[in-house]
Amino acid sequence: MTTTPGPSRRALLRVAALAGRALLVVWVTATVVFLALRAAGGDPVEAVLGGPGSQAGPEAVAAARAQYGLDLPIWQQYLLQLWRVLTLDLGDSYARRTPVLDLVLSALGPTAALAVSALVLGWLLALGAAWLVSWARAVSGRLAPVGRAVVAVVRGWEVLASVLPHFWLGAVLVALFAVGLRWFPATSTPGSLAGLVLPTVTLAIPLAGFLGQLLGEGVGDAESRPFATTARARGAGPTRVFARHTLRHAAIPTVALTGWAFGFLVSGAVVVETLFGRPGLGRLLVDSTLQRDVPVVMGAIVVIALVYVLLTVVTEAVEGLLDPRAATTGEDR
Amino acid sequence: MRRLPLLAVASAATALVLAACSGSPAPDPSSPSDAASGGSTASDGTDAPTQAGGTLVYASGDAEPTCLDPHVGGNYPQALISTQYLEPLVGRAADGTTTPWLATEWTVSEDGLTWDFTLAERTFTDGTPFDAAAVKANIEHLQDPDTGSSTGYLAVEKVTEVEVVDDRHARFHLSEPDAALLESLAQQWTAIQSPTGLARGMEENCLAPAGTGPFVVTGWTPQQQVDLVANPDYVDATGEAAPPLLDGITWRFVPDAATRYAALVSGEVDVIDNPQPDTITAAEADASLGIEHIDNPRPGSVNRIELNSGQTPFDDIRVREAFIRSANPGPGIEALFSSTAVPSFSPLSSVEPVAVSREEQFTYDLDAANTLLDEAGWTERDADGYRTKDGARLSVRFPVSTNQSVPAEQALFQQIQANVKEAGFEVVLTPLDLGAWYAALGAHEYEAVSAPYTKVGPDVLRILYHSSGTEPAPSGYFANHAYVRDAELDALLDEASATQDAAQRADLLEQAQVRILEGYYILPLYDQQNHFLVRGVTGIDTSNPVATLSFQTASLTD
Repeated sequence: MTTTPGPSRRALLRVAALAGRALLVVWVTATVVFLALRAAGGDPVEAVLGGPGSQAGPEAVAAARAQYGLDLPIWQQYLLQLWRVLTLDLGDSYARRTPVLDLVLSALGPTAALAVSALVLGWLLALGAAWLVSWARAVSGRLAPVGRAVVAVVRGWEVLASVLPHFWLGAVLVALFAVGLRWFPATSTPGSLAGLVLPTVTLAIPLAGFLGQLLGEGVGDAESRPFATTARARGAGPTRVFARHTLRHAAIPTVALTGWAFGFLVSGAVVVETLFGRPGLGRLLVDSTLQRDVPVVMGAIVVIALVYVLLTVVTEAVEGLLDPRAATTGEDR
Repeated sequence: MRRLPLLAVASAATALVLAACSGSPAPDPSSPSDAASGGSTASDGTDAPTQAGGTLVYASGDAEPTCLDPHVGGNYPQALISTQYLEPLVGRAADGTTTPWLATEWTVSEDGLTWDFTLAERTFTDGTPFDAAAVKANIEHLQDPDTGSSTGYLAVEKVTEVEVVDDRHARFHLSEPDAALLESLAQQWTAIQSPTGLARGMEENCLAPAGTGPFVVTGWTPQQQVDLVANPDYVDATGEAAPPLLDGITWRFVPDAATRYAALVSGEVDVIDNPQPDTITAAEADASLGIEHIDNPRPGSVNRIELNSGQTPFDDIRVREAFIRSANPGPGIEALFSSTAVPSFSPLSSVEPVAVSREEQFTYDLDAANTLLDEAGWTERDADGYRTKDGARLSVRFPVSTNQSVPAEQALFQQIQANVKEAGFEVVLTPLDLGAWYAALGAHEYEAVSAPYTKVGPDVLRILYHSSGTEPAPSGYFANHAYVRDAELDALLDEASATQDAAQRADLLEQAQVRILEGYYILPLYDQQNHFLVRGVTGIDTSNPVATLSFQTASLTD
């Protein structure tokens, strides 16, 4: 840029770039979903007529094809789907005959509750682990073997946690805390707070493993920087150094990862919601894919993609707050 | 699909924890009925104290229906739940005879084309009276293309008109005789709904169909539960006032089998369906859990492997027999189903009184299989040990529906794959989701397949093995997967359908089964599995014609 854009022009450009990015994401996801559902085989008209293997009469099949545009050539069906997505008229579910938007919105709430609580718990666990490591390093002069042991245990836990599959972890938690100790229910309904605990923990533990590894690396890196040394020289204790100085430095890449973490949580929700019999976007996707209920799969994925784009924007903004350099230099990159 | 490792791990973990803490009494935090009473553990149920009221929690592993009206589509999950609020015109006794229900009497004309039904005095739960006009409206609803009925549509396709003689008398006019009409009308998919309810339109009726049943649908939270409350004015099939003892039912959808079992053991739910074989054995082995096992096999056909006789190599009966003689499923069934399933040697369910069982045709005989394949010209073997003929491998494509075949059944197919390899067959097992699986069948991309089919009565033979069943429906689906096109068999099945004489019909159907078995079109495996695990509930009625459970006389103990 040769001219210096004014603040309003810069904001406009930013919004345009964002809208362009959102459109691109939506177009790509809608196309992939359309092609994938076609490639997977099965006839969408079956969904209209009570599920695959339907033996409905010829008139019923013809009527359903006409009603949902399934008698059109495939490229017209594709354009129709794209148009619907673009105009946010997601249409009606083939199988349930209710508006897709209603289905997706009612599933969005429980999944959002689960994702947010898992994200919060994941962050808390990761922060706790990072603080523990930081504290152990700071005091290891006095307690060298203990400090090293603490660091090793935390690192080991993070590596282990990040590779635990959701379905395994969930099953173990159910066996321990629902069947064994009976502290929490094995199944989860959105109205019940106790029911949210096991699915949240199932999603949060592997997430905490990922976030913790990244955060720990950042904290370790920051501790060797001059500003940390200076702070310590001024007499700041390990917790103060961690909270005021090194965490802020380490948090930037970890916050950037939170957008990715949302994708991780949604894919985890597919497993966790099915495992705990909990409603939500993940389960809606599974059910609708099995039924070849194209509009619902399309609607759910487009909504997820849009939320993803939105979250990326938010995390970039938070990054900017944490590190003003990112906001200024990032714009002109 | 991640289900197999998931289930294995989860049930192993569950078993460990159960072993560690079995015997501890179970307070039930979720069920209000249990909160009130003390800590007595339910035993076999018969002498446990019962109490009126309470809400039963049922956890279903079957797919959640997309519509609660079983006329729309018409599959087993709809039958399971609609048994609680809709009733069919007639019932069916264990010996196969038809019993009165909403229809108290019936007569059929000499030519089999006119059926007269006398109707009971009932009122639908929305206040609409049950009468001949309601019956007419229901049959028309089943036949309306807009309803999209599959099972029900096939069941009443020969009915040309329902004549309202008067309020209490309906007359069915048929295009051709149909000896299976009463069996078809006994199915939950043709159950009778309030015509006022139907008139609301499909969208509304799907959410809360109104019937004459013991419960009423009051709400549906998708992916979570359907709420049902007791119908205080319920009148049972004998005409007696019989309101349910329960206040209501919470019908939950919990897709994961291990979670369902965990919820049952921990007292969150009272009844589960589709338990895995290992959990059934675990529950039966540990009396302190207080879990009762209900084994209620479905009527109609048996679970079987069908060999596609319409294309090579199974267009040769010798190759079909060789496959069946070398498959040896018995030991696998015993091991994988831990004696919760019994090997079958019939095309029909063991609950069908006319089922013909011919064990001698299915004895394992590898030598005979090898001889048959030699005779059929599959004499060479390739480097991998599979037989070949003119350079082509003796290969069998076997698409497996991961939605319909439980892990134990999929493991059984793998054992059969290994067994028939001894004779030189290559079996290519392909796990597919339901949509892709039906697509593969519709495109004839299979030589062997296992497909469940539920219909009340032996007339299911006509759907599965009559040559007309090889003509695909407009959706591409055809029921005759074995591709049986046998004029003599068609004649037997047509005659059985037309005859009014029960003994003669049974004789014809037995001949038809012998013909199917001797053609080596199918390898019967076991009855269509229909298991339930129950904890702290007594008085469950298992007599519904399609083997679903009714909770009209049930009560919570404990």
